[in-house]
Amino acid sequence: MRSPSHFVLPARALRAAVVLALAVGTATVAPAAHAESTAPAPGPAGKPYMGWSSWSMQSSKYPGLNPDGDYSYLTEANVLKQTDALAAKLRKYGYEYVNIDAGWWRDKAWKPQFDRYARQKADPQRFPRGMKAVADHVHAKGLKAGIYLPVGLEKEAYADGKAPIWNAEGCTTADIVHDDLRTTNGWDSAYKIDFSDPCAQKYIDSQARMFADWGYDFLKLDGVGPGSFKSGENYDNVADVAAWQKAIAATGRPIHLEVSWSLDIGHAADWKKYSDGWRIDTDVECYCNTLVSWENSVDDRFDDLPAWTRHAGPGGWNDLDSLDVGNGAMDGLTRAERQTYATLWAIAKSPLYTGDDLTRLDSYGLSLLTNREVIAVNQGAAPPAHPVTASDPQRVWAAENPDGTYTVALFNLADAPASVSADWTTLGFTGKAAVRDLWNHENLGTHKNRITQALPAHGSRLFTVTPRGSALARTGYEAEAPANTLGGSASVADCSACSGDRKVGNLYLGGELTFTDVVVDRPGTYQIEVAYLSGDARTAAVSANGGGATRHTFPATGDWGTVARVHVPVTLKAGANTITFDSGSGYAPDIDRIDVPKTS
Amino acid sequence: MNPRPTDPDRRTLIAAGLTAAALAGLPAFTASAAPRRPLDVPQPTEDSRHLLWWQAPADDHSMIEQGLPVGNGRLGALAGNDPGRELLLITDATLWTGGLNDELDDDGQFPYGRADFGSFTLLARLTVDLPDHDLSAVHGYRRTLDLSQALLTTTYVRAGVTYRRQIFASRPDDVIVLHFTQSGGGRYTGSVTLGGTHGETGGGAESFGASFPGGLRYGAAVTAHGTGGRVRVNGARIDFSGCGDLTVVVSGGTNYAPDARAEYRDPSLDPEKLARTKVRAAAAHPAATLLRTHVADYRALYGRLDLSLGTSTPGQRALDTWERLTARARDRTPDPELEAAYLQFGRYLMISGSRGSLPLNLQGLWLDGNDPDWMGDYHTDINLQMNYWMADRTGLSPCFDALTDYCLAQLPSWTALTRSLFNDPRNRYRNSTGKNAGWTVAISTNPHGGMGWWWHPAGNAWLAGTLWEHYEFTGSRTHLEKIYPLLKGACEFWEARLLPMTLPGSERQVLVADSDWSPEHGPLDARGITYAQELVWELFGHYRTAAGELGKDAAYADTVAGLRERLYLPQVSPKTGWLEEWMSPDNLGESTHRHLSPLVGLFPGDRIRPDGSTPRETVDGATALLTARGMDSFGWANAWRALCWARLKHAENAYELVTTNLRPSTGGGNGTAFNLFDIYEVEQGRGIFQIDANFGTPAAMTEMLLYSRPGHIELLPALPAAWAASGHVTGLPARGGFVVDLRWREGAPTSVRVRSVGGRTTTVAYGGTSRTVDLRPGRSVTLKGFTR
Repeated sequence: MRSPSHFVLPARALRAAVVLALAVGTATVAPAAHAESTAPAPGPAGKPYMGWSSWSMQSSKYPGLNPDGDYSYLTEANVLKQTDALAAKLRKYGYEYVNIDAGWWRDKAWKPQFDRYARQKADPQRFPRGMKAVADHVHAKGLKAGIYLPVGLEKEAYADGKAPIWNAEGCTTADIVHDDLRTTNGWDSAYKIDFSDPCAQKYIDSQARMFADWGYDFLKLDGVGPGSFKSGENYDNVADVAAWQKAIAATGRPIHLEVSWSLDIGHAADWKKYSDGWRIDTDVECYCNTLVSWENSVDDRFDDLPAWTRHAGPGGWNDLDSLDVGNGAMDGLTRAERQTYATLWAIAKSPLYTGDDLTRLDSYGLSLLTNREVIAVNQGAAPPAHPVTASDPQRVWAAENPDGTYTVALFNLADAPASVSADWTTLGFTGKAAVRDLWNHENLGTHKNRITQALPAHGSRLFTVTPRGSALARTGYEAEAPANTLGGSASVADCSACSGDRKVGNLYLGGELTFTDVVVDRPGTYQIEVAYLSGDARTAAVSANGGGATRHTFPATGDWGTVARVHVPVTLKAGANTITFDSGSGYAPDIDRIDVPKTS
Repeated sequence: MNPRPTDPDRRTLIAAGLTAAALAGLPAFTASAAPRRPLDVPQPTEDSRHLLWWQAPADDHSMIEQGLPVGNGRLGALAGNDPGRELLLITDATLWTGGLNDELDDDGQFPYGRADFGSFTLLARLTVDLPDHDLSAVHGYRRTLDLSQALLTTTYVRAGVTYRRQIFASRPDDVIVLHFTQSGGGRYTGSVTLGGTHGETGGGAESFGASFPGGLRYGAAVTAHGTGGRVRVNGARIDFSGCGDLTVVVSGGTNYAPDARAEYRDPSLDPEKLARTKVRAAAAHPAATLLRTHVADYRALYGRLDLSLGTSTPGQRALDTWERLTARARDRTPDPELEAAYLQFGRYLMISGSRGSLPLNLQGLWLDGNDPDWMGDYHTDINLQMNYWMADRTGLSPCFDALTDYCLAQLPSWTALTRSLFNDPRNRYRNSTGKNAGWTVAISTNPHGGMGWWWHPAGNAWLAGTLWEHYEFTGSRTHLEKIYPLLKGACEFWEARLLPMTLPGSERQVLVADSDWSPEHGPLDARGITYAQELVWELFGHYRTAAGELGKDAAYADTVAGLRERLYLPQVSPKTGWLEEWMSPDNLGESTHRHLSPLVGLFPGDRIRPDGSTPRETVDGATALLTARGMDSFGWANAWRALCWARLKHAENAYELVTTNLRPSTGGGNGTAFNLFDIYEVEQGRGIFQIDANFGTPAAMTEMLLYSRPGHIELLPALPAAWAASGHVTGLPARGGFVVDLRWREGAPTSVRVRSVGGRTTTVAYGGTSRTVDLRPGRSVTLKGFTR
């Protein structure tokens, strides 16, 4: 879910502000044997999960989706309808999760309901048969069921601190929060749980037990910080996530734990340790008349993702949020944008869950969601793709596959059509390569040195490139080499992650670095590999031999201790050249070294 | 706006003016004779001096920067070339809103709105949708503009089939043709939609027609036919399915008539009906025949001049046009073939935009919306003149005629409006003498006989000078006879307007222009502005020559000569060292202002020459002012600067300005767009297309290679180092009635051929060497041995 600053709908405010009397209820679920013969084999997130989520349609003002008020799409009838459509159309392609998002315990005025143990309770209007019946239906279709909770003790569940904690004698809600009732989560809608009191873990255990008993296979824990546009001690929910991991393990049921949203990359190690996946960004939904829009916020992912790439892998993946490409009119995207959206999700190895109305997929949307070659990129053994060029409007991402081929994506993020080239030297080889177009299921033949294609505005191409040439020889030049020229504020600094243990930093406000003796045999345009560090995305103007400079944006590496590599084109003459990185009037990344190919 | 009834006095005056003029030119949109159909098959070029190419289509919303222009001199279009949807934004040079606009506002100036003065505007929008040909689903996309054939070709591969689409605008058939072919067993399925852009109602899939409140009728028509498959009208569109190839033919126009007496309309003409007739007639011929006919017609003009500025590298040739512009600017490395192609692109635009109809306006012939900035009008204080400087200089004299025809067709109305309105007491520029004669214009003029923004007294002299230069190049007596009344009327205007003045601190009596504004800065009301003094001085000189050559009005010619003797000419300011713009030693305007109005005697005028014939102080003052104006302005302003530096023989400054215009425009900044149109940054981040630099820059390139005035030719006066190694130009016209073929090596001419196209005697100079050539028309001579 998105930040309050984007949160224009009244229900969101209600959720944060309305304090309700304790909903007195009885436990609806008896502790019972929970081993289901149909339960899937337990295991970590070996590959990105695939499925459907309810939130995109809940959050949209697209005509007819939420006739009973905001977020009212979420009902048993709708979930079952989508479950059936998922099973019929998409299950055979690997889509398996049906994930219920926020609101299942809230009525249509967004008023929450809790059982006597302060646990969320299904809203009887939305889910008249309770949550277990839904999971049972999902399972009966051979699918998995997902559910949702905000992190913390929801304020309305506090009940003056008197609500008992299930299966925890002597524990009440007063015991599990701080005395000052400090609030937490992305909306400040809950009291922060104090895990120094053993009752706190018991509360999480009781919620986990309930979900296990209902038969859920997946939990999205939302509003988690640091992240969710919150920082500071009150919003540090690492202990909550750890408690959830522990509680799920104690149930004996494998439940995938996904944390959300816009999580702090500084805590990536925690998310990897305690969860099975994490939302790296704000909501993809636009909260408008369509499900999403390009600027709000599909395109953000291109800039926000690179710093996270190295953190994804078996056991935990970078979650880019819903993949809403199934119906052009509802999605609010052009065909080109839908393909680009699906391309990025696929190559990033993001979970692939759509938020579309699966009963109304158009033929193009169905082709995007069911392209087996593209799904194989996402679900296969290859690592996530990363940018191999700077973050220019036309850019290339790639991943080296275990079989020696490359997954290569071309992107044109400009608002007009443009040609985009992938140079083989940016992949580390030279000569010829065979190219297969995955979206169009077409072999494009052998291409020498590069492939260039016309892309529509916001368009993409996705290729498998099979090298038929030779490995690329490069010559490295360290930024800190004494022969280089430093200008302005630029200076050499220690850097344990860097080659030679040093780098050139402080490239800002006129600071510049010039490599003074870059030798090539033949004139031409060379893709030079730049090893750099940049906590945030920064730009540098790159030029050769004092000629005209081109400004490039270097994707964030997430911190100032991590080196990443992208390529920038530089036109060199035969013999010795200078190459300059100029911060200009802004801030440039720190430079570790450059590697110049021996062939252009 | 409908012309309102005017008071009897004015009506009488206008009527008097109108009856004085004969019909100046042919109607713009008219039935055409059966064209000659040549048999030779056109050959595409691979020479990067004549071939532009791109690896991406246009965006529907960026057509002015990315659409590729085609035109037959009257009917134009921007084509998007997207595989899935071909989009043509179609224009006719005469499609203007507005009317005569003959009521002054309270400030004594003309209204300047789209309803009253009017605006150049779009005629139609044509789309050919191919739903299965999404750009994301094709590969190997490429589109080319073959300047040597005036032909757009788009190719791409989809599922193993190579699809090819050719678009051209034919003057002989008066239509635009879209020809879709393929090889590999593909089929075309989709729809053609033609519609207006002004909320027109009615009409079917195949044509529409409407009229503006100003009375102008317009219409357009389309037809489509294919091989195999079927083509049929389906409601508002034409559907086609399973066609192995497809030909779409479109035409359109207006009932505009260049005739003041007919109030610029041909009431008998039904444009929609005529368009239908034209597309049917053209569609009766195979597309290949239409193409051959078009190419032969086009090449007759294009082939007149060939230019090489040197050889580009294989690396440069491997880049597409946009990459090449980007690399050229980034690496600051000359790309002689691209630079030659830029000149040829200007010639392509001239041939495509200026034949037999109205002249090229601020937008040339091309629009991406209905409401262009400054109405897409005729700006007479530089832009219209600059549009035509290159016509004669690059062998396209026939394209100049549109400007002549326009001025002559407007002259009766301009005369009437001047006589009835210029001395209106509200007009700050009215003649202090109380006299009123001849004609003048406002800065903005329209094609309805009307004027718009800001009275522009000296505009008459500048238009006259531009028409005169055409005479100097062509020596056409017919042209001279046509423009003589226009020259004379301008002289009469100034005879009535000039004021005697005694120069302070001297006894000297001079004549100065009455209160005026030096375009477009500084004091609004200044007497004796250099701009007017220089232009009127030139005008009087030309008139005297014209009267002499035609044997007319000897007495009046003497009068005019006498006035010219007394004209004040600008001084060099003792304060700034600049040639004065106003009769003041002070700089009263912006030092780096875009206009070079006070240098109009350096270019396009000939009064200020760096050859010793002009006082050194004057040349130095002009040079100092040009230096102060700077080296980085709007496209047309850079072009004018380049022309002035070329006249001063400063090759490197001229070249720098040319290449400044070649820098790629990004984010609306000044420079050259993706499609090579020149972009004018109106405000931060908002660039518009203004065509003048696309013509002014080529004009500057020719002036760097050849300076001429009647009786004198100078070779390579400002050849920059970038072009010096070797090059050639054939068919380069010179004033005085000659055409020059020239080869050079290491910066010096190696062979020179001078051919007379009417001229008799001229000197031909290079460096310290000068030859005198005497030739009869049609004869030529080869000159060698020029050394510096």
